[in-house]
Amino acid sequence: MSLNQILPFISTAVMAWFTVDVFQRFIVRRNPAFLFWGIGLAMFGAGSFAEAYLALAWNKWVFFVWYLFGAALNAAWLGHGTLYLLVRKSWRHGVTVILVAGSLFATYLMLQAIPKLDASVFTTDKPISEQYGTKALGEGEIAPTDAQTFTTTYRGNEVKAVRGLLPLGTPVRLTTPFFNIYGLLTLVGGAIYSAYLFWRKRVMPNRVIANVLIAAGALAIGFASTLTRLGYGEYLYLGELISAVMMFMGFRMAAKPQPDEAVEPSIIPASAD
Amino acid sequence: MAGKIRANSKSHIPRGSLFFEKIVPISLITMGIVTFALILFAAGVILGFVNF
Repeated sequence: MSLNQILPFISTAVMAWFTVDVFQRFIVRRNPAFLFWGIGLAMFGAGSFAEAYLALAWNKWVFFVWYLFGAALNAAWLGHGTLYLLVRKSWRHGVTVILVAGSLFATYLMLQAIPKLDASVFTTDKPISEQYGTKALGEGEIAPTDAQTFTTTYRGNEVKAVRGLLPLGTPVRLTTPFFNIYGLLTLVGGAIYSAYLFWRKRVMPNRVIANVLIAAGALAIGFASTLTRLGYGEYLYLGELISAVMMFMGFRMAAKPQPDEAVEPSIIPASAD
Repeated sequence: MAGKIRANSKSHIPRGSLFFEKIVPISLITMGIVTFALILFAAGVILGFVNF
């Protein structure tokens, strides 16, 4: 078993611990922010577990979980939790409706894609992140040495493409950037903004560091996902583990009261008071 | 309430700290730039500029 096959198991364990911690806070405080964070983390954990499974064997429903929760939705749900911490306006409920509707639509598109999966491409020799998408090669672009290529008509042009599990131009893949843009803006942007506010006020250094860790952790997975899209999927699992550990550390740090904060422990991961 | 405010007011960022004066602001700016770049990349995928 290679290191890249072991990393998702470790990420899954970290995310499971993190998810339980956040849901416990939701049960105690009834703050919807923790509910959205918990759902996002559960999706992250499910995606990591699916990766770990797909490193050993093929199952189309595990792939469904991996792509939908691990690649498409989790960042947006995590970021939505941060939005609830930062924004008290009523329009955030409208955003919740859009997020839920968008997630259901992505689920529908993913269900449509399942019968079209090309499972014959699957191998346990490569991480799932390196084989999930069929990619049309640009002019002059060379396919990786071990890739299976074919020629097809795509958008009216004859193109050479590298075979992947999801067919070329699968609609569900077009939804992913929308969720990830929203997730990046709210999760990373929210954490950076919170850290900046505390830093500018020169208060609560624990929350400054905590929000820097949350932002850096979220960026680690965003960066690794981008590298995956560019064909460097081998870094995705390391990025996920770094992300899980940093965000968990940030969350725990924000939750931990400082010695002179005995009256009101700060328990919010990315809030701006 | 006053006690609470007094208790929280003690939790301040130390003055003259290299970490908080230099590293934190540079990290925040860098992460902001990287976030912007990643959003541009994702937008490029949506608009068809980035092949996938």
